[in-house]
Amino acid sequence: MSDIAAAGGVRPAWRGRLGIGTQAAGTAMDTRRALQLGLAGIWMLDGVLQYQSFMYSKAFAQMLAGTADGNPYVIARPITWDATLVEHHLALLNTIFATIQLLLGLGIAFRPTVRAALAASIAWSLGVWWFGEGLGGVLNGGASPLNGAPGAVILYALLAVLLWPSDRGTPAPFTAARAVGVPVARALWLVLWLSEAWFALTPANRAPQAVSGMISGMDGGQPGWLAAILRGAASLVTGQDLAASIALAVAFVVIAAAVYLPERAAKAALVLAIVVSVVIWVIPQGLGGILAGGATDPNSGPLLVLLALAYWPSRTVTAPAVAAAAERSAA
Amino acid sequence: MIPAWLLDIFAAVMLVVAAVSAARLMAAGRRSEAATADVDLAHLLMAIAMAGTLTAALKTLPDTAWEVIFGLMTAWFAWRVWRDARANGARALAGGHCAPHLAHSGAMLYMFLALGAPVGGSGMSGMGAGATMGTLEYPALAFVFALILVGYSIWDLDQLSARRYRLPSVGALAVPVGVPAMAAAESAAAAFPGPLSADDPDRMEASPAAEAVAPAAPGSRPASTAVLLSPGIAIGCRVVMGVTMAFMLVIMI
Repeated sequence: MSDIAAAGGVRPAWRGRLGIGTQAAGTAMDTRRALQLGLAGIWMLDGVLQYQSFMYSKAFAQMLAGTADGNPYVIARPITWDATLVEHHLALLNTIFATIQLLLGLGIAFRPTVRAALAASIAWSLGVWWFGEGLGGVLNGGASPLNGAPGAVILYALLAVLLWPSDRGTPAPFTAARAVGVPVARALWLVLWLSEAWFALTPANRAPQAVSGMISGMDGGQPGWLAAILRGAASLVTGQDLAASIALAVAFVVIAAAVYLPERAAKAALVLAIVVSVVIWVIPQGLGGILAGGATDPNSGPLLVLLALAYWPSRTVTAPAVAAAAERSAA
Repeated sequence: MIPAWLLDIFAAVMLVVAAVSAARLMAAGRRSEAATADVDLAHLLMAIAMAGTLTAALKTLPDTAWEVIFGLMTAWFAWRVWRDARANGARALAGGHCAPHLAHSGAMLYMFLALGAPVGGSGMSGMGAGATMGTLEYPALAFVFALILVGYSIWDLDQLSARRYRLPSVGALAVPVGVPAMAAAESAAAAFPGPLSADDPDRMEASPAAEAVAPAAPGSRPASTAVLLSPGIAIGCRVVMGVTMAFMLVIMI
């Protein structure tokens, strides 16, 4: 994947104001912008999902309150307060929540507002991670890579940071390093995937029936074909839950190492990351539960794929090179 | 249950889109501007149909009539996409200006065909008050359409705020003064036959796929008409309709 889609068409535009270095003319687009649009699309989908009937029922407030269970008091108390508030003003607050998420998507897609929208998305994601997801179950032992740990919404914030439209001036080996630098980007990737490996091996997730139970628990309300896939997968891992957890953990460790490997091996590990993310999204997560109704977001699968693409080795053509090309073109 | 006032808001937005599209159709009355008439007409009809689906009080035609209309519209835009693809290659399938309209028409057709009997209601149309909201058959298809619509909306917004819709020199493109975007684009493309290249951005922007902008020269028409007929307005309508359509599909899954 190249950072420049069509270098020949590069022209200086929006520089500084948008912080995207240069904007290629016509339909040319760099990888980071393409990934930003992917993130915008997921935010938009998140927004429209939040408008579903289920979110306007008391079940939504109860779902929020449920995330307080098992969390430390200082974390749980604000969640309970928030859930009570939502229950009392359900229609208004849920409409505001949905509209904010929709606007975040639109804001990221609209170039003049990309910075503001990304910044707002970080703040919003952190708030939802606490008040809506109970920190993804990280502190109460409920986190599992199969159910979106460490919380799908925190991945939005991570992507917003990694896709922030600025450059450090040095060539970056992958898109995610352009804004934060190579060491930080690598560390974030490592922490994320090692934590996934850790969660896969927690006692709750390696217990008998843990994996198969989670898969079979997702088939309610799904279309027939997806329910059949889920039932088949559940029966496949029944009795093999510990082995499945270990296999997942090993895969996560390999993926975590991807950013430190030579290019060819790194690409192989990133492909593994994409495949694992897609499989997790389809099988345990049941496409995020979207087709069953009542999904608040598409869950972690699509975000992990986007993240893997942000770490895909590029040809290290970064902002300075783009700017030079633009200057040559202008001259 | 989705509050009725929320559906009313979306319906009101659709009425605004319908009004803008109708105004564009009237303003672009001349024969030379007929190239965009199908798009504006499609926006007008879709917006009226969606408003009627969102709020029962705004229902205008029976569902069967809408199915026929959107069936014809889907066939029309499929033919235009095919023609675009023949002229500009496969890229027209994804980036041409007719492909999003094909997706919109197809989504509307699917919506009317797949909308099951509403819970507690007797008719197919109308989500009004939430109590009569229907669900769609084949929800996976609804999800796929929603993804496509969201994708096109995101792409349109990005291109709207990029250079794709900049105002080029009318003279340089040799486009008749006052010819709106898509007609101008087609005229310009006809003047530059052959495959397009990314290293020829002016030409890319003058292609049908790029929906180049060729507004009227100063003084040739009132500024308000020029603004109304600018492609930014059409693309804005398309984004709003795409988002609303995705909203409708998702809440009816």
